Amino acid sequence: MTAIDLSDRPNRWWRSRAVQRFMRHRLALLGMVMIVALTLACFLGPYLLPYDSLYIDLRARFAPPLTGQHYLGTDPLGRDIAARLLEAGQISLQVGFYAMILSTLIGTLIGVIAGYRGGLVSAVLMRIVDAFLAFPSIFLMLALAALLKPSPVMITVIIAITSWMEVARIVDAEVRSLREREFVLAGRMLGLSSTHIMFREVLPNVLGPIIVAATLTVARAILLEAYISFLGYGIQPPLPSWGNMLNGAQQYLDKAPWLAIIPGLTITIAVTSFNFIGDGLRDALDVRNDQN
Amino acid sequence: MASFLLNRLGQSIILLLIVSIIGFTVLNLIPGGPLAQYALTPGMTQEDMDRLARQMGLDRPLMVQYFDWLWRMLQGDWGTSYRDGQPVVDVIARHLWATLLLMGTSMVISVGIGTWIGIRGATHRYSAFDYVATAGAMVALSIPTFWFGLVGIYVFALRLEWLPAGNMYTIGDGSFADYAIHLIMPSFVLALVNIAVWSRYMRSATLDVINQDFVNTARAKGLTERRVLMKHVVGNALLPMITLAGMQLPNLLSGALVTETVFTWPGMGRLFLDSLSYSDYPVVMGLLMLSAVLTLLGNLIADIVVALVDPRIRLA
Amino acid sequence: MTKRESTSAEMSRRSALRLMALTGAAGVFAPGLLGRGAAAQTPPAAPKGRIIVGLSQEPTVFNPLMLKIEVDDGVHFSIFDPLFYTDTDGVIKPRLATEVPSQENGGISEDGLEWRVKLRDDVTWHDGTPFTAEDVKFTIELIVNPEFRAWRTGGHSLVRDITVVSPTEITWRMEEPFSPYLSFLTETMIVPKHAFDGVADPNEAPFNHAPIGTGPFKFARRVAGDHIELAANADYFWDGPYIETLVFKYIPDLTVLYSQFKSGDIDLIGLQYITPDNYEDAKTIPNREIVLAPSPSVEMVLFNVERPQFKDAAVRKAIYAAIDKQAIIDQLYYGLPTPSETFLPQGTFYTNPDLPQQQFDLDAARKLLDDAGWVPGAGGIREKDGVRLSFVNSTTSGNHLREQTQQFIQQTLAEIGIEMTIENMPAAVIWGEFWVQSQFDSVLVGITFRVGADPDTTNRLHSGATPAKGGQGSNFGQYANPEVDRLLEEGTRIFDPEQRREMYFRIQEIVREDLPFLPLYNDNRANGWKSGIEGVRPNLNARSESWNAAQWYWTE
Repeated sequence: MTAIDLSDRPNRWWRSRAVQRFMRHRLALLGMVMIVALTLACFLGPYLLPYDSLYIDLRARFAPPLTGQHYLGTDPLGRDIAARLLEAGQISLQVGFYAMILSTLIGTLIGVIAGYRGGLVSAVLMRIVDAFLAFPSIFLMLALAALLKPSPVMITVIIAITSWMEVARIVDAEVRSLREREFVLAGRMLGLSSTHIMFREVLPNVLGPIIVAATLTVARAILLEAYISFLGYGIQPPLPSWGNMLNGAQQYLDKAPWLAIIPGLTITIAVTSFNFIGDGLRDALDVRNDQN
Repeated sequence: MASFLLNRLGQSIILLLIVSIIGFTVLNLIPGGPLAQYALTPGMTQEDMDRLARQMGLDRPLMVQYFDWLWRMLQGDWGTSYRDGQPVVDVIARHLWATLLLMGTSMVISVGIGTWIGIRGATHRYSAFDYVATAGAMVALSIPTFWFGLVGIYVFALRLEWLPAGNMYTIGDGSFADYAIHLIMPSFVLALVNIAVWSRYMRSATLDVINQDFVNTARAKGLTERRVLMKHVVGNALLPMITLAGMQLPNLLSGALVTETVFTWPGMGRLFLDSLSYSDYPVVMGLLMLSAVLTLLGNLIADIVVALVDPRIRLA
Repeated sequence: MTKRESTSAEMSRRSALRLMALTGAAGVFAPGLLGRGAAAQTPPAAPKGRIIVGLSQEPTVFNPLMLKIEVDDGVHFSIFDPLFYTDTDGVIKPRLATEVPSQENGGISEDGLEWRVKLRDDVTWHDGTPFTAEDVKFTIELIVNPEFRAWRTGGHSLVRDITVVSPTEITWRMEEPFSPYLSFLTETMIVPKHAFDGVADPNEAPFNHAPIGTGPFKFARRVAGDHIELAANADYFWDGPYIETLVFKYIPDLTVLYSQFKSGDIDLIGLQYITPDNYEDAKTIPNREIVLAPSPSVEMVLFNVERPQFKDAAVRKAIYAAIDKQAIIDQLYYGLPTPSETFLPQGTFYTNPDLPQQQFDLDAARKLLDDAGWVPGAGGIREKDGVRLSFVNSTTSGNHLREQTQQFIQQTLAEIGIEMTIENMPAAVIWGEFWVQSQFDSVLVGITFRVGADPDTTNRLHSGATPAKGGQGSNFGQYANPEVDRLLEEGTRIFDPEQRREMYFRIQEIVREDLPFLPLYNDNRANGWKSGIEGVRPNLNARSESWNAAQWYWTE
């Protein structure tokens, strides 16, 4: 999966055992297909729809799905739900993706340093991890959302701040087990710098667990965005996100159930797909089952 | 063991201090405050607002407010809710039992169903059942809880009209049956995720045990499959499950939050959300500390159980 | 009923005048007043039955003088009495007092400084202690006690030299003439002095959790987080009560509140009432009375007029012309509200009925901007002298109808080259420094400008009332107009309603011209109760639908 992997193996990467195993994981494959389809739909779909996601038409409010060209109906302001859903997908998927990148970076950095250095550095860093874990994440998220202006970028940052700890723990544990291995000792004897050993020698060997954790983090981040936005602390209208499309849907549950059903179903499909992929990667990369 | 506990206790106290400092700071950094909701009152002037801020001690420096809070907390005084005028402990206690009722019921449901699915999945590994259960668990973990609740309300409350759409009981009723019928939907919604988690754990725990020597020995001794399972597998797998139960403790606050919101269940999660939106600092801080203590306690229980189960420690 | 007549019989000439002036607006009140054959019904001889009022917020403050919100008032009206009260027609009438002091009857001196109030001699507290002038004196003194967490001190802080002449007579001197004080007193419940005997800190008095009043109901019990139960006070000195038990039930969600009303779990739906989207549905429920009653609050887009974009009156006028008020009312609010042009509720004695009507006209709006030199710049956004016509609008997040209104306005403004962005915040954040220190560009908000039925709005419109400029008041939009200042100052010194009326008509004209805020509509609350309950009379001039629970009764 990386440069090092490639140089190690004469075969093409798609013939590698990991890829073979992943391809055999039918659910993971299904997840992969779904995510590609969803991403394409979200980023290309809006160009194919007749309505703009922000266009308000009060005469057309609460149109049920399949009325005219409103394939998925309209919302309380008469905006086209299909257009909003796809546009919301761009935002939600990006929030999920960038939150994953950010939290994985933070988590990996702290995990590698704590695991490699050990001793006091590790103790301090891991206590920080504990402190973050001792906060109910919902508290941190809601308080931060009230503190910072809830733009998509801020929501991404907030989600990342509350979800890097697991990666840090996993990486810490992995690195610690590698610390006394021959190649690390050899590196030290060759006089390589700690930074070099940590990030060039040790890190590539923990990529498997990191990739698995990262995939699951995307799923988690999409869910978290939905939770915060549903509670009204997240991405603010008129910008659509999957979560804020659901905010307020409860009020119209009787009159316009599609307002709740459509975005919720989409979230479930997206999150399930990422979880399937994560599961497939876990099997493929032969990572220990580290659920929770 | 004693030094281990003492060490952990020391660490926990430091952690709690850090949590309280961060929590207090973040809360107070949020602009606005508990008096904001009165700013629209007719006839209320800025003079009145300033006077109230002084009377409530909100105009003091943050450090002073923090140490004042800490000092009272150490003496067992959690403060008084700004919004409610009642002691924070009473406010929390009142909501705690609603949450305990909900989570307890949901726990029973999820343990029951989850254990059954998990063991069956392990004993019928790679069967259709196992595949469906595996995929189902993954889907269950991916459904936004609140959305599942909304769909439940739509189907069972609005369309079929079998179950109430929310609340804990009917005013003027409050009989056992009344509570029970109000409990059904929220506890199943809350159980969904836990069923998934429990069934996965139960499956892998069962698989771990199933291949160990003593189980094979038992089987060789001619015991029936069922007896072996019941006696050894379940018995052994239950220990890790206790660990997991310990880990569930902190969810008391955050786990049920959205479910409580959707079903207007008067529990801790709702209390937290309401208190946060009113900037009711004493209550939010109380909930935060309670939750942190539970988290640490949960971790500790988990660690102790692991230590007790781990044969190396048992031998020592 | 006889008791009631004796107290309200001496309606003054001025009150009658006011009433006549009001008849033009009576249409708005009609549904509330008429009920169903109310005249034919008579209340039972003895209190009978129970009424459950559902509220979406929880009443938690039981000392009526302490920091509180509207929902607490419903309970206070039932447990306590004020000296005077404002009836549904905006007329101030005596309650614990025997008459309303005025300059004609000598209760208020010609210079407006000396006040004399005569009290009833037949009132006892719930614990049997007689009510006297000492209690009134204690109440006012407690409010201005610097250590007491009083709700608001407006008016009371001007009171000096309170003298108890006799158990039924009290006098005081005002620091300066302040005619709205009468209305402040209608919202000031009198508390018993003896309940604070020996109490060191009035903020911590046992009374605050076990209130003793003179009112129609006694405090029975509170199940915190759930409901409050009040029991009939058989010795009530005034009209009522006619029910044995009054319950305030807390249901923290408007959707659930409505469904509980629909299912009959609650008998009467209180604050925040039936949501507009459920109004049509509510009218179809059998055996329910659904009544629209005006609220004192006016929904508006309020500008921070010190922002460079808003300093130009042409911009404010153009934005007003670009708001499709009728579509907002008819579509988003299901036709419930009444369009408004002013800050006073529609159809009151002091509301100027001749203000120009806003017209939704995008071309006119464009022309206003073109003429004022605001020309389209980058991205089609108009600009002038380096100022882009772009602003932020904020409101409380989670208020779905307001959020929809914002987005709707946003779209039409974009059509005329004005960029409006939306930044909403939780209630505790937006109404904090952001609001009181004038850090906002504009807000979408419902504001009640009046206290009781008094038209004084010095607090919200006087240039000296802006905290961001060092003032003490609630003029957060920083509006300043010298003529309005002068009229406001004069208005509080004059007691004659006719004279005051002219002045406040003029103020409304000026404000309508200046547009420091864009009045959108006057909310009409959809009240609802079970058929068979009589006597419910929503009152624009009282802070709660439960203001007259004493007169509620079941017919069967």
